[in-house]
Amino acid sequence: MDHENSPDSLSRTLADWQVQPPRSPQFRAAVWARLEQVRRPADWPAFARAHARALGGALALALVIGAWVGREQARARVEEDRALIASAYVHDMDARLMRLP
Amino acid sequence: MRNWWLSLLVVLAAGAASFGVFYALNDDAELRRAARDGDAMAWLRAEFHLSDEQFAAIRQLHDDYALVCTRHCRAIINARQRQAPAGEIATLEQICVDAMTEHFRRVAALMPTGEGERYLAIVLPRIANYEHVGAPSVQVTP
Repeated sequence: MDHENSPDSLSRTLADWQVQPPRSPQFRAAVWARLEQVRRPADWPAFARAHARALGGALALALVIGAWVGREQARARVEEDRALIASAYVHDMDARLMRLP
Repeated sequence: MRNWWLSLLVVLAAGAASFGVFYALNDDAELRRAARDGDAMAWLRAEFHLSDEQFAAIRQLHDDYALVCTRHCRAIINARQRQAPAGEIATLEQICVDAMTEHFRRVAALMPTGEGERYLAIVLPRIANYEHVGAPSVQVTP
């Protein structure tokens, strides 16, 4: 019979076992620091990392919409001015438009 | 909550920056300045990318055409004043249209490759469009 693995042997070992962890003077402070970290809202970079997908999607959408609206507005404005000056240019040379004073 | 507001601010700022960049890239400040000033020659130069030589030649053509235009103008006004028959006025107007078309074709021929066609595509339909609003207010000649 294997005496070393018998239940009596295990009980004796457990009864004799004493844990003597090294004392850590920073333990209490470290626990409080971790508690504070959980209680305090995360700073924005940490928040952004935590919501990277949502934030990335919103940013991409904002960039695309901003680009599209900017491009369309600029083009519409240029087109409007082009139509205005082109019409004035042609009309200024159109003798049919001259009116009696 | 503060982080959500900050995120919204960042997203809005990104959208605004994107808008600004693409607006600037697609804007044509020179054209708009010319339109605002009613300066058709500046518009021609900017819009059709004219070199100094091309611009000078086109300006000369416009100066020459101004004399032709004045003659047509006098003839049409004279015919209207003496209440000439409609057929005569129509003939004078057709002469004016033909002269303008010919003038625009000459101007287009002086422009860089490809720009002449674009110029004609812009100006020729405006000759045909006889529904006019307001008096001319553009400087064709300096």
